[in-house]
Amino acid sequence: MQQRRVIDQVETNRVLLNGQLDTPKWWLPTVIGLGIVVIIGFVIIGFMVNRGLGVTGLSRPVYWGLFITTFVFWVGISHAGIMISAILRLTQAEWRRPVTRAAELLTVFSLLTALIFPLIHAGRPWRIAYWILPYDFARGIFPNIRSPLIMDPVAISTYLTGSTLFLYVALLPDLGNLRDRTQGWQKAMYTVLALGWRGNPRQWKLQTVGGILLSALMLPIFVSVHSIVSWDFAVTPAVEGWHSTIFAPYFVIGAVHSGVSAVVTMMALMRWLWKWDDFIRPEHFDALARLLIVVATAWLGFTFLELIFAMYSLDAPEIALRELQIFSWPWNMMFVVFLMTGYVIPVGMWLFKSVRNNIALMFWTSLFVNIGMWLERFMIIVPGLSRRTPFVYTWDSYRPSLVEWSILVWSVAWVTFLMLLFSRFFPLVPLFEQKESQIFVDRIKIGRASVPAILREQE
Amino acid sequence: MATNSAIAGDTAAPEDHGSHGEEIAGHVVLLPAQVKNTLVDSTSAGSSRFMRWAIALSVLSVIGIVGLVLKFLAHSDDQTKWGYTAAVAAFLLTVGGGAPLVAVAPVLAKANWVRPLTRIASAFSLIGVVTMIVMIPLVAVLPPLVTEGARRRSIWFESPDWTPHTFIFLAMFTLLLAGLGLFYTTALPDFAAMRDHSSGWRQRMGKMLARGWVGSTVQWRTLRMRIGMFGTFYFLILIYVHFLFTSDFAMGVVPGWRDAIFPMYHAMSSIQAGVAITILAAWAGRRYLGLQDYLRLDQFWSLGRLLFASSLLWIYFFFSAFIVFWYGRSLADIAWVDLFIRGPMIWAFIPGMLMSFVVPWWWLIWNRIRTSVDGPAIGAVIVLFGLLLDRMRIYVSSWSVPPEEIHDRYLKHIPETVWPDAFDYMIIVGTTAAAALVVALAFRLVPIVSIWQTQEYQLLSKPVRYIRGHGVLVAKPD
Repeated sequence: MQQRRVIDQVETNRVLLNGQLDTPKWWLPTVIGLGIVVIIGFVIIGFMVNRGLGVTGLSRPVYWGLFITTFVFWVGISHAGIMISAILRLTQAEWRRPVTRAAELLTVFSLLTALIFPLIHAGRPWRIAYWILPYDFARGIFPNIRSPLIMDPVAISTYLTGSTLFLYVALLPDLGNLRDRTQGWQKAMYTVLALGWRGNPRQWKLQTVGGILLSALMLPIFVSVHSIVSWDFAVTPAVEGWHSTIFAPYFVIGAVHSGVSAVVTMMALMRWLWKWDDFIRPEHFDALARLLIVVATAWLGFTFLELIFAMYSLDAPEIALRELQIFSWPWNMMFVVFLMTGYVIPVGMWLFKSVRNNIALMFWTSLFVNIGMWLERFMIIVPGLSRRTPFVYTWDSYRPSLVEWSILVWSVAWVTFLMLLFSRFFPLVPLFEQKESQIFVDRIKIGRASVPAILREQE
Repeated sequence: MATNSAIAGDTAAPEDHGSHGEEIAGHVVLLPAQVKNTLVDSTSAGSSRFMRWAIALSVLSVIGIVGLVLKFLAHSDDQTKWGYTAAVAAFLLTVGGGAPLVAVAPVLAKANWVRPLTRIASAFSLIGVVTMIVMIPLVAVLPPLVTEGARRRSIWFESPDWTPHTFIFLAMFTLLLAGLGLFYTTALPDFAAMRDHSSGWRQRMGKMLARGWVGSTVQWRTLRMRIGMFGTFYFLILIYVHFLFTSDFAMGVVPGWRDAIFPMYHAMSSIQAGVAITILAAWAGRRYLGLQDYLRLDQFWSLGRLLFASSLLWIYFFFSAFIVFWYGRSLADIAWVDLFIRGPMIWAFIPGMLMSFVVPWWWLIWNRIRTSVDGPAIGAVIVLFGLLLDRMRIYVSSWSVPPEEIHDRYLKHIPETVWPDAFDYMIIVGTTAAAALVVALAFRLVPIVSIWQTQEYQLLSKPVRYIRGHGVLVAKPD
């Protein structure tokens, strides 16, 4: 399954640095367009902060709605980076090479975006500080450090710091490369950022060891982040459908599913926009789709377990909630869409090699997955809160307002805007990985067959 | 041959001619005939010592079956006495069910290091025979869905009363068949080798089991397809069996215990046990059958990493459930913590936790331990003991709940500690010995290391020069 052609290092530099050394024509109008959307989004956020949460659809008893759903969604997307980059690096999967940078970037920018949502959800963001610091010594009111709501920002901040470091360490050789090919202020910027990278054996060794160490260190953080997000819900027995032991791995596997799908979407766009056909090849989509089949099926298994053990409880409210989710309008429609777009359509299609090797179909099916995964989070969070329960004097279905939908659209534009901005200054496909892969890939002749082979250093 | 001559061009020159294989830059080159002869001979190596062990294990196995029969005669009407038998059944399922996945998963991921281990791993599916025997009395004492006029909570909802009993048996039998199918399919070319290169009963058995294998292109293509199909089917049915076993034999007998992650925790620890038992068997094969050139450091190192990773997953799955019960503080949640953590089986919980996670984690985290033969083996022994204790914690606690409380919404009285009786000791030792005997007998029929996988591995890897050192070129066929 090797569709590569031999590309020399000069050609690799020329093609992969075309975003930095020779800006594509579409870039500026796209960035300006997205920039306008981003500015409008910030204005809407400002409006909401000024007027209060009354402009949203949030009200008793549904106090967690679209913002928290989108927060969980972006935290989920952030799992792409470590899954693709760290796990595949540790398992020496050769096909990871063109994908790693984009996945790491997606991690950093989606985490940055995710962090914004709890802030704006609080209504008065400055009051978030009260969660973090003990503030009322006189009355003895302190943040409960055992609460997942406190663990959450700690875990996400750690993940963001680690992911940024991970991205930066992997970027160093390319920064050195850019420094040597630019002039003026750009050269000055890359000189500072490259930290004196010369590419000598010691630096390479340190960079490799650093990458492996960070991969290993990031793995537990990667798992803990979404687990803690899941415990925001799971440790709350008062809301039906939330108090489930399976939530932590269920959220993590769902996050991997949506994150890796987002990487596929991004890779397709990168291939089309920058014309990197020689670097992002159908074989990479094929490998990612195979990985996604396994991940998605595991996720479906967890979904099944979550549902079956909710019914197993035979608790009337729990069963009523499931009936609401599956049989009552509009949740039943959402349930079908979530299942079809999250699993049935994409996985059904990925079973065919022709689909796995078709970039356009991979693009659309990966988009489907993220529609389904967003809906999944919405269906976890909202129905349990909106159901009529004893002692609740007010209940209603939750309808997100235009402000909330606008902020959701803003978040997508914001992440895309940041990615495009990054692409102007830094390569989206790691150059050194590409060059290394040219060296490590070989063939072995067995009888009359020539089999693709990979060089492994002797330990 | 199209090689990337810039760096990894030339085949490295031989440096050391060992007595077994030719070692080139740390990579042992074995000739196909050499592989075949050594591995065929390994089935008859140490015959007298094997006989002594086989007799001892047979005696213990008989003791185990006698214990099982006597216990059934004495306590068939008292469910609370069967916790240790349930724990043993769960442990055998854990070990025997998980090991074949070690043969399947890395092969699907094209990891060549696993090739010498596939036979060892798949042979443990034979333990299913012993598990089925233990399950007979256990299924008989499992209460029906409706007792005292009321229906208990189960995944079977409104199904007929004896549905769990029927389905668990059917599922475990299917798992056994799938495991045997996987073992047999992967051993087919080796049976042909036994037919062509051994003598006596082994040759006759080889001839019968090889079913006319001549190694034609069509046969190889069919073989690979069957391995893929059996592997996938085995994995799916294993998850299903764990789902049924955990919900019917643990959760279903404890009022108020609802734990959606528990089947996955059980299945995951099964993989951990499977890795551990594979390490242990590989260590024994290397030590007692002289297969140092076949079961090399690379295999132990890779398995050590898997054991380390699976130990981390054990604590993750355990903690994911624990934190929800701990924080939940509902009456059912508190009862779970009281029953399974700080209750009657705390004596099994603490060492079980230490040996399933803390000790193996701290032991295997060191590179020097993982890159040795004995290090992972010691870790494997610790893990297996830890998982046995963990199964006792779960199943003895669950089965100690009196059947009259089964319809309550949550457990109101935490039962006293149940200690094993003489029958339990007989069953634990006897069934473990029977499992070891079944696997040992299999390795007298077919080599412990797959001949064809090793030969293929030799073809797929080639030592090459790499800058100033050496590397190995590993082929990854589609």
